[in-house]
Amino acid sequence: MGLPISPPPPAPAGLLDRFAAERVTGALSGPHGCFYFLDGAVYCIESTAAPGLGSRLTAAGKLPPQGWEHAAEAAGERRTGGRFLVEEGWLTQGELEICHLAALLDAAFFALELPPEAASFTPGTAHWLGVIRPVSITALQQATARRRALLDRLQPWAAADTSPVIPAGTPVPAATTRRQRRLLDRADGRHTPYELARLLGESAFATLLDIRLLAAAGLVLVPPPPAPLPRRRPGACLDAPPAPATAPHPAPAPQRSVPDIFDTTDPNIALLVRLRTALEEEL
Amino acid sequence: MPGIDQVLSQAMGIPGVLGAGLIDWTSGLTLGTAGQAPHGDHDAAAADTADVVQAVTRNASFDTAGAGGPALEDLIITAAGSYHLIRFVHTAFDSQTYLYLWLDRAQANLAVARLRLRDLAAELVAS
Repeated sequence: MGLPISPPPPAPAGLLDRFAAERVTGALSGPHGCFYFLDGAVYCIESTAAPGLGSRLTAAGKLPPQGWEHAAEAAGERRTGGRFLVEEGWLTQGELEICHLAALLDAAFFALELPPEAASFTPGTAHWLGVIRPVSITALQQATARRRALLDRLQPWAAADTSPVIPAGTPVPAATTRRQRRLLDRADGRHTPYELARLLGESAFATLLDIRLLAAAGLVLVPPPPAPLPRRRPGACLDAPPAPATAPHPAPAPQRSVPDIFDTTDPNIALLVRLRTALEEEL
Repeated sequence: MPGIDQVLSQAMGIPGVLGAGLIDWTSGLTLGTAGQAPHGDHDAAAADTADVVQAVTRNASFDTAGAGGPALEDLIITAAGSYHLIRFVHTAFDSQTYLYLWLDRAQANLAVARLRLRDLAAELVAS
């Protein structure tokens, strides 16, 4: 009778899980953002896709002009920028924590897409805001998966994510939320949802979701998908002029119509014709 | 000046309260918890209440306040043995959070709990 074998510990699913398990401290930079770790928990994420704490607070009028830069200069070296914002009387501790977590969660949505080969880790590097309220990687992954599911329900309107938001110009029905009406007001046909989020200092995820909802409701125009390249029929360019429209044949079976001129006995020309036909089939 | 933990700790002083939390409704992420949760699982309670809040926030029928003032204040779920009380936290900046209270129905006074939670939500963001 063998000894009971305990199951092996679950293998880390990815780089971030490993960082959490190893309780690392430092900054992990990837193509869509930078994570700051303390003892394996994430306390700050910066992503170019999502407005950060400074943009959000400034857009909301919570910080005076240049207040963010002032905080970075005054308290950045001591890594107490967050505390500085509260001590200046610009916001409460509760506001700091809520706004910081909202920004962190929003950035996580984009930054979590992290191919290990494109990531670089700098041990010990800390963020100038300091540690405000760390979140576990598992909680962030679960939260982001739920947000992803909300967005995926509107997948047919995904083309609206990256193109300038053009209001359809139809009367806005009462059944739009306040946030959606605000987006429609700011949409000028030039700014993408990401740019609108930045201008308004609002969640990039929530903006993508609302723009997709507005597109689904027909209130925002969605650019047509790029037309697929026409599927060429082998030997198509060798065809005679198209048959007159008087005799329409419903989808004739693919056929190889090569004019008689190429019915040649010259082996070189025959080879070239076969090659060309084969190439066209690949198109 | 209270942060999330201080406000949740004060919420635990409301008569009949079993547990409290602060949650982001677009993701079900718990920003903070105190006390117990239904079935001992704060994360599940956060995800489940976030579902309820999403259903309310995405439907304009509940947004009848017009342009002025916050649209939604609170949601109350009455169940056998307990109340679930959800209070929206309105911030000057963009956020989607609510305070959640799980209350013992035999011990709690719903009207008192609702008013206390309203004050705590205001305290969290008042400056």
